Amino acid sequence: MFWKLRLPLILTLLVGSVPVVTFFLTDRVPGVSFVRDKVEGYMVIIYGFALLLGVVNVIQSSVRKIEQRRSGWPFAVSLLAGLFVMGGFGILSAIRVGPFQGLLANAGGGMTPFSWMTSHMFNPLQAAMFSLLAFYIASAAFRSLRVRNLDGAMLIGAAFIVMLGRTPLGEYAFGWLPGGETWLPRVTDWIMAIPNTAAQRGIIIGAALGAASLSLRVILGIERSYLGAQEK
Amino acid sequence: MKLERLISPDRRILYLLIALGTAIPILVRIGFPVSATPPVEAVFDAIAQFDADDVVLLSFDYGPNVAPECSPMGEAILRHCFERRIPVILIAFFPVGGITMAGEVIERVLSEYPAVRPGEDYVFLGYKDGAQAAMKQMGVAFANVFPVDNDRRPLAELPLMQRVTNYSDISLVVTLTTNVIGDWWINLVNAQFKVPIAIGATAVSAPKFYAFLDSGQAIGMLGGLKGASEYEHLLVAAYPHLRPLYERPGFYTAMKGMDAQTVDHALIMLFIVLGNLFYLLAKRRKARPSAV
Amino acid sequence: MTQWIGLWIGAFLTLCIFSFLYRDNPFFRFAESLFAGISLGYYVGNVSANTLAPNLFRPLFLDFAGHADLLIPLLLGLNLYARFVPRIAWTARISLAVYIAYYVGINMVQKIQGEVVPQLGATIISPWGGAFTRLDNLILIVGVLSVLVYFYFSIEHKGAVGAFSRLGVWFLMLGFGAAFGYTVMGRISLLIGRMNYLFIDVLQTTARALG
Repeated sequence: MFWKLRLPLILTLLVGSVPVVTFFLTDRVPGVSFVRDKVEGYMVIIYGFALLLGVVNVIQSSVRKIEQRRSGWPFAVSLLAGLFVMGGFGILSAIRVGPFQGLLANAGGGMTPFSWMTSHMFNPLQAAMFSLLAFYIASAAFRSLRVRNLDGAMLIGAAFIVMLGRTPLGEYAFGWLPGGETWLPRVTDWIMAIPNTAAQRGIIIGAALGAASLSLRVILGIERSYLGAQEK
Repeated sequence: MKLERLISPDRRILYLLIALGTAIPILVRIGFPVSATPPVEAVFDAIAQFDADDVVLLSFDYGPNVAPECSPMGEAILRHCFERRIPVILIAFFPVGGITMAGEVIERVLSEYPAVRPGEDYVFLGYKDGAQAAMKQMGVAFANVFPVDNDRRPLAELPLMQRVTNYSDISLVVTLTTNVIGDWWINLVNAQFKVPIAIGATAVSAPKFYAFLDSGQAIGMLGGLKGASEYEHLLVAAYPHLRPLYERPGFYTAMKGMDAQTVDHALIMLFIVLGNLFYLLAKRRKARPSAV
Repeated sequence: MTQWIGLWIGAFLTLCIFSFLYRDNPFFRFAESLFAGISLGYYVGNVSANTLAPNLFRPLFLDFAGHADLLIPLLLGLNLYARFVPRIAWTARISLAVYIAYYVGINMVQKIQGEVVPQLGATIISPWGGAFTRLDNLILIVGVLSVLVYFYFSIEHKGAVGAFSRLGVWFLMLGFGAAFGYTVMGRISLLIGRMNYLFIDVLQTTARALG
């Protein structure tokens, strides 16, 4: 019980207190800055290990899918192929073996295998995936965005003004009136600076208070869900 | 019957219209005018006051998915710094492509400035994990987080890094950010180390940063493709010899992208109006008693 | 030559993704799974080359005596992977506790000192003067307070509280509308980048290569 629950909770309290204590005491108590520097240096490294946890998970589930010949298993093969080739190039670049002299460019300025794959496969794939959203938002604008009540009308009205005001259309809309080309951009600037700022600030304050209280609960051991399933 | 089909048309027709609305202005340049807004002017004016004694830290906190918005910002700011001979330190904290984006921007801009000296006029420190811990420790010493630069040279060997130890030697941090990493520059670095921060935000996250602009935690902001085009516009106005570069055919710039942006905005607004119009007409027809 | 081949590979993969707009198909699913694999491979390469090599392994191998303390993050980091071995999976909690606790602690300081205090401070402004006009300052103060009241669920929203909360909803609608307008701009920008890649980068480079 001590090793499986109490020790993690004690460590959470101790390590979680480091940023808070060092924030207040760094210049006042000798030795605190040493602890802070060491812990921050270690956390950069541990974060790197944590980022790769998902890779192991994905490899496990893909291998299982291929072994069991579940629906769509050939695509698990392409997933693993991409992962191992790209990851392999990356690790070889990290230890600088043969043509793998760095991630971005080799000493002569040419592309490394990792940077070639990044430029011609990773970049286009990621950019294309996210650019699909443009089509979906256009479809949603026609098929789903309905003015059903006052709240909806305010939302769509503000969206209209911002979409107009943040393009040259905003200047053309009233440009035929004397001084009219600045009206819509000025209204847009006002919407962003006042009501939008008020709304965003309320959300920021509320979310920040919620996050801070959750952080305190985790540090004090009240919130333990991050430790996973616990034995009774 | 026909009205119901108009309310919910085949999605692929809408997709085709948006695709045409984007592709045609890319192929046929329209040249809509661009005018600057105060948040962008604030960033431009801040950098315009710096000289070779100042140092700007440019952080690439975005990936390839938002490169059309943020890369033009990075290029314009880097060109501005090189024009004024302001030394620049470049880093990346975004794990999914940040360092790649930084490398591409640096490569593109450096080809235009052959006199710029690596290690003296700019240093590319590369990417580091654990952004929050790294940002905090950079307040003590950059070398504690980045022991070597992206080309594996120890920081002590780089002339620029001999006069830059931590944030107290930095005049401005410019973060090109998708979302939360920009928050950390503000609520951690600006809050604890009082370093001025300028934001280059994607359009999706730009509305949130207005709250930080108003509170003075950020000195200025470039919001989305529009913000990038405004900065380019200010840059070309201040340095007319850059105009041929920005007008070169086949060279992507935010100002050119605004043509397609404008056409697509008009299309989306038309979709919203038509969608609601057909919906209202259908609603009224249902409410009308049927003829006997 | 490899640049030209690479551009066409990128164009092919882009069109595979776009084919989903017509309907789901094997080309899209192949590109999607390849994207997932390559993204994870990118993570592996990026973390290895930019964090683990320069900050951990090189100092350990080049000067072990001077950097022996780096064994601590090495062991804690490797221990995270114990969760995949059922018999010792529980030991991963130790590393998880350290990792989560630190970032949760730093987050708490950031949120209070870097967001709540400055944002509240920027709201406690005189409605009679300041950066904006008097009316704008008043609207800003009322807006922030009404939004905060809307998000306060510990009391029932009726009567005066309900009315003030309703005002908060209106401010939120204006804010979300503005955010939607910017979101449209953001999404369209992504498509502009891809179209530019297909029509300018790929086709122009090909035309040049063909003479």
